[in-house]
Amino acid sequence: MRIDTARLSARLGGIPVVLASAWKGEGVADVRRAIARAAEERRLLPPVVWPDNIAEALSTLQHDVAADTGQVISSAEAQRLLFDTNATLPERLGWDKERRDPAIRAAREQVRRSGYNPLAAEPLVHYERLRKALEGVVTEGTGKAGRTAAVDRLLLHRVLGPILFLGIMLGMFASVFWLAKFPMAWIQAGVDALKGVVGPSLDATPMLQSLVTDGLLGGVGAFLVFLPQILILFLFVGLLEDSGYMARAAFIMDRLFSWCGLNGKSFVPMLSGFACAIPGLLSTRTIEDPKARLATAFVVPFMSCSARFPVYALMCAAFIGPLYGPGWESAVMVGMHCVGLLFAVPTAFVLTRLVLKVKPQPFVLELPRYQLPKPRDVLWRMWQNAAEFISKAGTVIFAITLIVWALSYFPRDPGVADRVRAADPAASAEVLAARTQAAYVEQSWMGRFGKAVQPAFDPCGFDWKITVGVLASFPAREVIVSTLGVTYSVGEGAEADSGHLQQAMRDAKWSAGPRAGTPIFSLGAVLALMVFFALCSQCGPTVATLAQETGGWRWAVGSFLYMTALAWIVAALVYQLVSRLAPPA
Amino acid sequence: MSLDFVLVCAFVGAATGWLVRRWIAAARRRKDGGCAGGCGCATKVGKKG
Repeated sequence: MRIDTARLSARLGGIPVVLASAWKGEGVADVRRAIARAAEERRLLPPVVWPDNIAEALSTLQHDVAADTGQVISSAEAQRLLFDTNATLPERLGWDKERRDPAIRAAREQVRRSGYNPLAAEPLVHYERLRKALEGVVTEGTGKAGRTAAVDRLLLHRVLGPILFLGIMLGMFASVFWLAKFPMAWIQAGVDALKGVVGPSLDATPMLQSLVTDGLLGGVGAFLVFLPQILILFLFVGLLEDSGYMARAAFIMDRLFSWCGLNGKSFVPMLSGFACAIPGLLSTRTIEDPKARLATAFVVPFMSCSARFPVYALMCAAFIGPLYGPGWESAVMVGMHCVGLLFAVPTAFVLTRLVLKVKPQPFVLELPRYQLPKPRDVLWRMWQNAAEFISKAGTVIFAITLIVWALSYFPRDPGVADRVRAADPAASAEVLAARTQAAYVEQSWMGRFGKAVQPAFDPCGFDWKITVGVLASFPAREVIVSTLGVTYSVGEGAEADSGHLQQAMRDAKWSAGPRAGTPIFSLGAVLALMVFFALCSQCGPTVATLAQETGGWRWAVGSFLYMTALAWIVAALVYQLVSRLAPPA
Repeated sequence: MSLDFVLVCAFVGAATGWLVRRWIAAARRRKDGGCAGGCGCATKVGKKG
């Protein structure tokens, strides 16, 4: 591509034009110098030449304001009145609503007569101006633009586009599972080896031994096993983003969001929400309309953030993959990422159309050309996410694991061992040891609490250990992985130490009630648990940020209650339905 | 009281204290308008006017 900088500069009223490439990091110093020079010389872009009808509408608005309020407004201020649905200017001017609304409506009608949608006119006129300014300035040399357009015709096709998007996501998750299998096994073997070395050296202090092997290695180890999946996932996300496809994915999703009444600008917060809800909530600040902002903030936590990933990955690796094959693992993973969206769309629809009555606004999205991803940027993104994951394992997960271990270990009633022995004196020493460990956990603070609350989660198929995991995850979702790691390590006795959390979960069976002898983690319970995590508002910082961004606790508490109740209802429905269709053997 | 018990209490107590301090610090940062989610997003946003 060639750019005639001198010609462009002349067309822009002498404003200096310099060539720079953010991708290659070239020309940054030239840009800096040009900005300084332009500021010194006080050069400004020539004003926009509005089409006649728009210019007339702007002038009429200026006149109306002067007539009604006695104040003179600039053309730029009149543009805000004409183009923005929620301009703050009328309040500042003290312009009476009774006179203001008809005046703005009439001005917009005049814009419409020139063939423009009043809410999209401003960017369209600017784009037209840029197109004219660039005429003859940019010369395409390689035909890249043509190729991009040809690929886009396929990838952005109204029907094929979403299907291809879904296919790409399926392929991505299938690759993540397949490629991560081996490094995950190595990490698991490493954790087991560490347990084998550290455990015997702490024989003299059994309490500390349990804290280190069952608590830290069982809990944090179970969490760290998913590091390869996180790394490979972000490798693919980086490749898609750098190649230019993510912007196309944004375009495909924007169709869906605009259909459910969300502001075009809601898209960026929603997309950020797929990584983490908090930056997503903070980026709602770019939405001027407070109603649209509120509606967006309310649905952002539905997006499947990366904290949910270890939960889905554990369930897929332990149950879906071994039972139904790797193809189903990726299908379930994509499905779980869509569950949040599936409920966010109707929620947004009801909020924007019926409760808040948000006015739609267009959104302009620039699609970059396709290019080869830059390895340095992709690796940097992978490293950032790995560092974040490891730092979380070493700090928050580590600390919560210690507390969960203590709650699952204490109180240590010395009579428990005697009671277990008395119940079945003929049992072997090994069996007695395992039963004693299980009895200790059941009478621990965590066990008692879990059993007291479990009936509330019984319709979802959760036993008391899952219930404890679910409740411990309200501050942060991924805590369930380490919590299950601790409760299954502490409770399963010596012979379970060599096994993995996934095996312990597969072996877990109901000990009493109508489901006695059947697996706790049946297909229904596994899907219900994943759906619960997909929909529930289990993230303390998100609720607090929502309160901060909406200016009070009303919407934050409302969102928490709504999402949690919805998660419970949908999880119960999934469990009941799947259990009837595929009863646990 | 065994050494075992004292060590375990010290570890668990330190972890609880660290978490509480972290939550208080996060609440303070949120009050100042920044991101305190511990999400690693490094978002630094000024207080709303």
